[in-house]
Amino acid sequence: MKNKKVILIFLLPALVFYILFILYPVFRTFYNSFFKIGAFRIKYVGLKNFREIVKDEIFWKSAKNTLIWAGASIVLEIGTAFLLALALFNKIWLHRFFRVAWFVPVLIPYIVTGIIWLWIYNYDWGVLNTILRTIGLRNFVVPWLGNPKTALPALIVGTTWMWTGFNMVILLAAMHSIPHTIFDAAKVDGANSFQIVTKVMIPLLRPTFSNLVVLCFIGKMRVFDMVWVTTEGGPLWSTETVATYIFKRAFKWNVYDLGYPSALATLWFIVIFVISLILGRLIKGSEIYEY
Amino acid sequence: MTDFKKIIIFTILVIYTIFEIGPFVWITFMSFKTTEEFYESPYSLPLHPHFEKYPVVWIDYNYSTYFLNSAIIVGGAVLIILVLGSMAAYFFAKFSFRFSEMIFQIIFLSIMFPPQVRLISLYQMLVEYHLINTRIGLMLVYASTQLPFSIYVLRTFFESIPRDLLDAAKIDGCSEWKAFWRIMFPVARPGLTAITILNFVMLWNEFLFAVTFISSDSKRTLPLGVMRFLGEHYEDVCMVATGVMIAVIPILIFYIIFSEKFIEGMTVGSIKG
Repeated sequence: MKNKKVILIFLLPALVFYILFILYPVFRTFYNSFFKIGAFRIKYVGLKNFREIVKDEIFWKSAKNTLIWAGASIVLEIGTAFLLALALFNKIWLHRFFRVAWFVPVLIPYIVTGIIWLWIYNYDWGVLNTILRTIGLRNFVVPWLGNPKTALPALIVGTTWMWTGFNMVILLAAMHSIPHTIFDAAKVDGANSFQIVTKVMIPLLRPTFSNLVVLCFIGKMRVFDMVWVTTEGGPLWSTETVATYIFKRAFKWNVYDLGYPSALATLWFIVIFVISLILGRLIKGSEIYEY
Repeated sequence: MTDFKKIIIFTILVIYTIFEIGPFVWITFMSFKTTEEFYESPYSLPLHPHFEKYPVVWIDYNYSTYFLNSAIIVGGAVLIILVLGSMAAYFFAKFSFRFSEMIFQIIFLSIMFPPQVRLISLYQMLVEYHLINTRIGLMLVYASTQLPFSIYVLRTFFESIPRDLLDAAKIDGCSEWKAFWRIMFPVARPGLTAITILNFVMLWNEFLFAVTFISSDSKRTLPLGVMRFLGEHYEDVCMVATGVMIAVIPILIFYIIFSEKFIEGMTVGSIKG
C-alpha cells in the first residue's frame, strides 16, 4: 500500500509527462504515415506514402548524404580525438590548457558553427581561400559551399571541428581510468609503446569506442541546423539530409501534407534504431576485457 | 619520448588549437569592427573597437528580447526536468514494482529517438491545444526532450547514495517525500549540477523545435534571432558577428570560470560503458 503511494508521488508526474510528450507523439507519427493530412482533410492511404518514398530520388540522395556524413564523422572525429587524447595522456606541455580549449566548440549552437564555417568558406575573404591564395594555390580556390562536389565534405569538416573535442575528452577520461599497472606490466613483458597502444589500450577502450560511435552516428543522423544555416540542402541536393528534407516536406514546400514527411520520419527512425543497435553490438564485441 | 619528437607533436597540437579556437578570435575581432573596416582588411586587429555595436544589437535589433525568451524557456524547461526527472530517477534507483525496470528501459531507449520522429506530431498537438507559437509550448517540448537522458544519468547518482542515509532519515520520522527533498536531493547535488549544465547548454542551442513552433518575432529564442538576423543582414557580416557574440558570451563566460564542471556536465553519462 505504502509502495503504491511512493510510485504515485515520485514516478507518476514524469511518467505522464513522458507519455504525453514522447510516447504519444512518436506513435502519432507512425499513425500519421498511413494518411494524407491536408489542412482540412485527412484521408487514409495505406502504404502509399511508403511506396512513394521508394521512388523518391531526393529522399535517396538525402539518405546517402546523411549516411556519408555519419560514416565520415565516425572515422574523422573519433580517429582524430584518439590521437589527440593520446598526446594529452602522455602529459605533453600545456595538456590541461589544450583539453579545455578544444572543448569550446561543443558549447556553441550549431547555428553559430554554421555561420563560422559559412565565413571560413567565403569565396572572396574566407579564411580557406585567403590561405590558398597566399601560398600560391590559386587553382584550388573554389566557392566551397557553392560547388556540389565540395559542399558536403566542407560541412563534414565543420561538424568534425565541432565534436572532436567532445570525443577527445571522453577517450582521455577512459584512458585515465585504465590502471597504470597494466601498462607497466606490458612494458615489463617487452612491448614497445606502439604495441602498448594497439594491443593493450585500444582493446581496453573498446566499450568507450562503441559508445562514441553510436553517439556520433545518432548525432549525424539528425543533422539539421548546420545545413539549414549554410546551404539549405543545396547546391543540387548535394547537402540535403534526411532531417532537412523532412522539414522541407512538412513545413516549407507548399504541398500541404503532413502524412508523407511522417512516413519519412518513421522510416528514418527505424533505420537509426536498427543501425545503432548493430553498431553498438558489433564494436562492443562479445569479449569484454575486464580490469 | 625524445625532445625532438615532443617538439613536433607540440607544434601539431598548437596548430590544431589555432584551428579550433582561431574562428572565435576572428569573430570576436569582427564583432568590434564595422563591415567597411572588415572588407578593407578582414584579419586585422580591431584597433578602434566599436563597442557601441553591442548596445545597438542588444536594443535596436531585439537581441534583448531573444535573450529574455531563451532565458525563460530554457530556465523553465531545466527546472521542470530537475523536479520531475530527479523524482523519477530517485524512484528507479530505490524502489521497484513489476514493470518498473521495463519502463526504465523504454525511457532509456528513447534517448536514441531523433527529434524528427516527434516534430510533426508535436506540431499538430501544439496547434490543437493552442500552444503553438507560445513560450510555454516550447518550454514543455524542451523539458520532454531532455527528460529521458536526465532520468538515466540521475538514476546512477541516486543509486550511489547509501541506503543507510535514507533509513536513518526515516527512523528520525521523515516521510519518503521529506527524506527525498531534505536529504537525497542535496546529497545528489553534483549529479544535479552536471545534468543541469548539460540540459542548459543543449537547450540554449536548440534550433529545430524552436524554428518549427515559434513564428512571431517577440517570442524568438537566441538561435532563431541569430538566424533571422543573418537572413536580413547577410552582407553586414560584422553586425551578424556582434549578434553571434551575444548568443555565445553567456555560455563562454561560465565555461571560462567553471570549465571542469562544464566538461563534466557535458560528458556525464557518456563515459561509463
